[in-house]
Amino acid sequence: MWILKWLPDWIFYVTLLAGVIGYLATYLIKYIPVPFVYMYKTPIQLGSIAAIVIGTFMTGAIYDNNAWLDRVHEMEAKVAKAEQESKEANTKIDNKTQEVKTKIVEKQVLIKQYVDREVTKYDNQCIIPKEFIKALNDAAEAPK
Amino acid sequence: MNITRTYMVLALILVFFILTGCSTTVPVTAKFPEPPKYSMQPCPQLLKLKEDAKLSDVAGNVILNYSSYYECAVKNDAWIEWYQVQKRIFESVK
Repeated sequence: MWILKWLPDWIFYVTLLAGVIGYLATYLIKYIPVPFVYMYKTPIQLGSIAAIVIGTFMTGAIYDNNAWLDRVHEMEAKVAKAEQESKEANTKIDNKTQEVKTKIVEKQVLIKQYVDREVTKYDNQCIIPKEFIKALNDAAEAPK
Repeated sequence: MNITRTYMVLALILVFFILTGCSTTVPVTAKFPEPPKYSMQPCPQLLKLKEDAKLSDVAGNVILNYSSYYECAVKNDAWIEWYQVQKRIFESVK
């Protein structure tokens, strides 16, 4: 609530209190032997009622505002926790991915060594037909 | 005349206090979660054979392409896991 950003909360509590005191005071005015004060009974009563209405409304508004602020702080804390959890989860996934990739490369190197050692023996004995190479390359081509 | 003015002043005061209900929203924004580091690279193209390829070249080509597939599969799996984890975290913030 924008008005609560500009004015401190206590102003509204004081308004409410002043309204209540002012209204009660109007009943005590008759005991004050000053005619001037008695003349202002009705305006003081009206002013006090206005102060009570405003004070009550704003007291409720302050309570509501504080309840929302508490919720915002709660959400901020949850979001911060979620962001931290998200980072940790990403680190775990990254580590796992890197581990598997390393294993794939290691396996690839081992099999390549085996091919270089064992399969190359048959390079001269086996003629690869061009049709076979074409079929393999066509299969390797990404669909367009 | 005085009564009209009084009503106008009262109306202004009323409008002022009604406007106090206009709330300024306090946005709680969550950053979009970062993607997994190794999954942002696209999968590579499969390797092709030369015209005069030998048997060992064919075998080597198959090995490299299989490796490419598995590397790509790992990235895909990482994305699936990332989605599931982030969804769980997102749903826990309520």
